[in-house]
Order: sequence, then C-alpha cells, then structure tokens
Amino acid sequence: MKRVIDIGVLFSRSGIYAALARGAYTGVLQGVEEVNADASLDVAFRVIERDPEGRLDRYAPLCREILRTSEARHIFGCITSASRKEVIPELERFDGVLWYTVPYEGFEASEHVAYMHACPNQHLLPLLDWALPTLGSRAYLLGSNYIWGWEMAQIARERIAAAGGHVLADRYLALGDTELDHIIQDIRTLKPDFILNSLVGDSSYAFLARLAELKQDPEFADGIPVLSCNFTECEIEAAGDAAEGLVSVGPWFEPEGGRGGSFHEMSRLAVHELAKLLNGRPGAENLPLSELLHSAIRSGYTPRIDPAHLHAAQPAIIARLENSRFREIKRLPALRADPYLTHRSQSSQGGSMLKVVK
Amino acid sequence: MTRIRTENLGGATAWILHRPHPSVQGLIRQLGVIGLEAREAWPELPAESIGADFIFYDADMGHDEQFPWAPGQSPMPMIALIGSEAPGRLRWAMEMGAHAQLLKPMSDKGVYAALLVARSNFDRAKASEALIADLQNRLSARQTIVRAVMMFVMKGKTEAEAYDILRQTAMAWRVTIETAAERLVANHSNERGTDDGRRIDLA
Repeated sequence: MKRVIDIGVLFSRSGIYAALARGAYTGVLQGVEEVNADASLDVAFRVIERDPEGRLDRYAPLCREILRTSEARHIFGCITSASRKEVIPELERFDGVLWYTVPYEGFEASEHVAYMHACPNQHLLPLLDWALPTLGSRAYLLGSNYIWGWEMAQIARERIAAAGGHVLADRYLALGDTELDHIIQDIRTLKPDFILNSLVGDSSYAFLARLAELKQDPEFADGIPVLSCNFTECEIEAAGDAAEGLVSVGPWFEPEGGRGGSFHEMSRLAVHELAKLLNGRPGAENLPLSELLHSAIRSGYTPRIDPAHLHAAQPAIIARLENSRFREIKRLPALRADPYLTHRSQSSQGGSMLKVVK
Repeated sequence: MTRIRTENLGGATAWILHRPHPSVQGLIRQLGVIGLEAREAWPELPAESIGADFIFYDADMGHDEQFPWAPGQSPMPMIALIGSEAPGRLRWAMEMGAHAQLLKPMSDKGVYAALLVARSNFDRAKASEALIADLQNRLSARQTIVRAVMMFVMKGKTEAEAYDILRQTAMAWRVTIETAAERLVANHSNERGTDDGRRIDLA
C-alpha cells in the first residue's frame, strides 16, 4: 500500500520561457507517473500545481499558496534564477524544499533548494575550456538582462581573460526582447570567433534566426559558432533550423532524438530521487532536506545530491546540434559541483589557467 | 575589473569567535560550502588566529581582551555577528574594526557577500593607510629639502644655486635628493648644535 504524498509543481506554462518550462514540467509529470506505477516504492505522489505564467511577481504568492493550503513540502519548479530567488524566502518560512532542475549561475547554496542540474564548473567552464583552443579566443558575450546573463558573462570574462583570450563585447537584452539590429551590427563589425549566447526563450530564438540570416552575406557564409549553457532539445522546435550548429553543454542529451532534453530528464530524475529518499520512511517528507539526505545515507542509499551543498554531481557533455539532434563532441565524467568556484585550483582541469586575474 | 569575484577563498581559514550556539552551525556549514576551513574559539581567540584569513566575532558578548591585537588593528578582515542593535554594542563592534557584518540568527544567507565585502573594505583600508604613510614621508622629505636649501641660502647662495648644489651633492653621493638633504641637515645640526640648527631652520 502506497502512502500518498502531495508535491508542488510551480512552472510557467505560458509566457516567454514556456518552452523551457514545458520540458521540465513534463519531466516532473512523467517522473510522478513512473513513481506511482512502481510497486517497489511505498510512496505515490499527488501533484498540486500552480502556474505563474512567466510573471516574476506571481512566484512567491503561488509558492506560499502551495505550502499553506496543502501538505506539500517539496516543490518542483522555477526556471529563471530570478524566480528561484523569489520563492526561497517562502521556503524558509514554511520549511519547504525547492527541487530546481535547470542549470543556473552558481553562488548560492540555500538549505531549502535541491540543485539538481548543473552550475558553472559543470557547464560554462568545461564549455569554454573546449571552445577557446578549438574555436579561437575572441569571444562575444550575449545574454538576457538579468542575473543569469550577467553572471554567465562575468564568469566567462574571467575564464577567457585567464586563458589569454579577449572579450570583444558583452551585451544584454531584456527578457523577451527581440529587437536585435544593434547586436547583429555589432557582430558584423567585431567578427568574433564565437558567441556565448545566454539569452533565454524568445530573445534567443530571434537572435539565432537573425544570425542564420547573416550567413547569406559571403563574409559570414561559414557562420559564427554559437555556444549555450541553457539551450536544450526542448527548444529545438521553437528555434527552428536557425539553431543548427549550436554547441550546447549539459549533463544529459537525448540519445534517441527526443525533445525533452536535460530539463525534462533532470526533472524526471528529481522526482525519482525524492521518491527514493522517502521510500520506507513515513513522515520523512517533513524533514529538512539535509536531514532527509543524511538519514538516507545512514541506511545505505547514495543520494544524487551532495549533503554538504545540496548540488548534484554531473557529467559535462558538450554537443553540437546537427540535423535537429545533439551529437556529442566531448564528455567529462561526473564533476562535483563547486557553486562558489572556490575549488577550481584543486581541479586537474586546466590548472595553468587558474590564476587570479588582476 | 580588478579583483575577481571568484577570488581565492578556497582553502582560506576563518575563525569564529562566538560561544557555542546552534546558529553558529549554519555559518560553519556555509563557510564549508564556499570552500573555507572554519574554526571556532570562545572566549578568546588563540594566538594562532593571527594567521587567519577572516575573523567572525560576536558583537553581543564580545570585549577587547578576546583579541590578540588592539582594537582596529586586526591583520585580517573582520566580520561582526550582530544580534543586539543597541548603539553601545554597535559602537564596540565598529571600534573593534568591523569590515562587514552578518545579522543573527546566522543562516545560509549573506555569508559569501560578507566575506567579499569585508575583504574589499579591509584591502581599501590597508591601501589608504599605506598611501597616507607614503604621503607623510614625502611631506616630511619636502620639509627636509627646504631646510637643506635654506642652509645654502644662509651662506649667501641664491635659491636656484642652492637647489643646484643639492642636486649635484645627491649625484655625487649617488643618493636621492631627499636622502642628500637629510644627511646635509643632520651634519649641519651636528656641527652647529641643535639650538643653532633650529634657529637656522626657523630663519
């Protein structure tokens, strides 16, 4: 007989980053379906759903609503870092846990968040370490005008400078903005070796489309390589053919041409992870996350997330989009998360590049 | 861009001067996550804490004698742990040399920011102190040069001639003009006695 446990789901299924949220959302639902059908687990999940519709100011009230009006203490949700920062105070107030299943910029380790995707030492740094010797050292940084875009540019700038490369420019577009004339003009003039695209959602698709048009110009016929730490299979349809050739990094890519990508897969795995942590431990759903992890470790289970900082270890896979499928270029084995990038000097990867930049 | 924000906190040592308390565990946890080694002390910081990279200290129950250095003279950034916001306690925390602060109860929030703010303020204060010391030296060196020039003027040289003699002396001795002036003034004082010297200086 299964115990039925409420879980919250807080994804924006409309709005400018709906395609990303849909990937994560369907991953959670699939995970729930699988857990509920799994007779070896003594838990079943019931989903309490709220949709902030991509509006930042809706996240905190809806998170609070789930925590106050239901038994749910574990919430799967949030795509943007801005929305995650909005819900953390609510999680603190009501002893909730957010299962965050998409990549982020690091520099956070809340006791109320299970960071199930990747942070910069697991995405951006391996990507740049591959790109700089492979594509060239002149980088153009482009991002959405909020914390993800800013911090990705900041970390990239440090890494590129340390490797002796050059950042030609960094530019930001408001979330949802698709006015790109000045960016394209910029790129025509500067001719970077590669572009780090940290745009999110519609801005990103519009940018990729404009950049693809640029190929009609003989001078840019070969195209300028575009790198991303947030583009996954769940956006291929929205971006269309213009995304062809894009190089992305992530902990997982679809092996069979699926469209969920790592947002879907990490969300699905997160649900399974919670089920395994709760299996055979009635009432454990109300434990603080670190206690839940420690109790599972004591009984012999190795959780996906590190109980010290609540981030998952992840492989870093670099892949190029060819014929609407990501083809693996390079793979680093599972790396422990280093959310504050303070352990860089201890890693064996590119030790000579890890100087303090003045 | 000067210092990088992901600067070398990894492996740094932080001492926490606070009586044993559950909320200190939150601070220790977060320091560990960021990559520092946290060590606890109460009621006094041991001498070895002089080698620490950061000190977190209790502003509520703290007093001067807990520290192996004088108030405001810490050789590393200091972060005050503030519970009571009573003016007297805050004044003490500031006199002790808070470069940043964390409010109690300590949690997973604000620790990284406090480390970076504290280090930045500490570095800036150090740089200002060094600059002031340098300016003071140069100011006193200028006074010495004026004294040396005055000595030659008293002997009937014009000011321009006096500066030229000083410059040539410095070249002959292979020292800076400031050092030459210092030696000339010192010799002069020895020859004439301090009282005479002072009278000339004032002339």
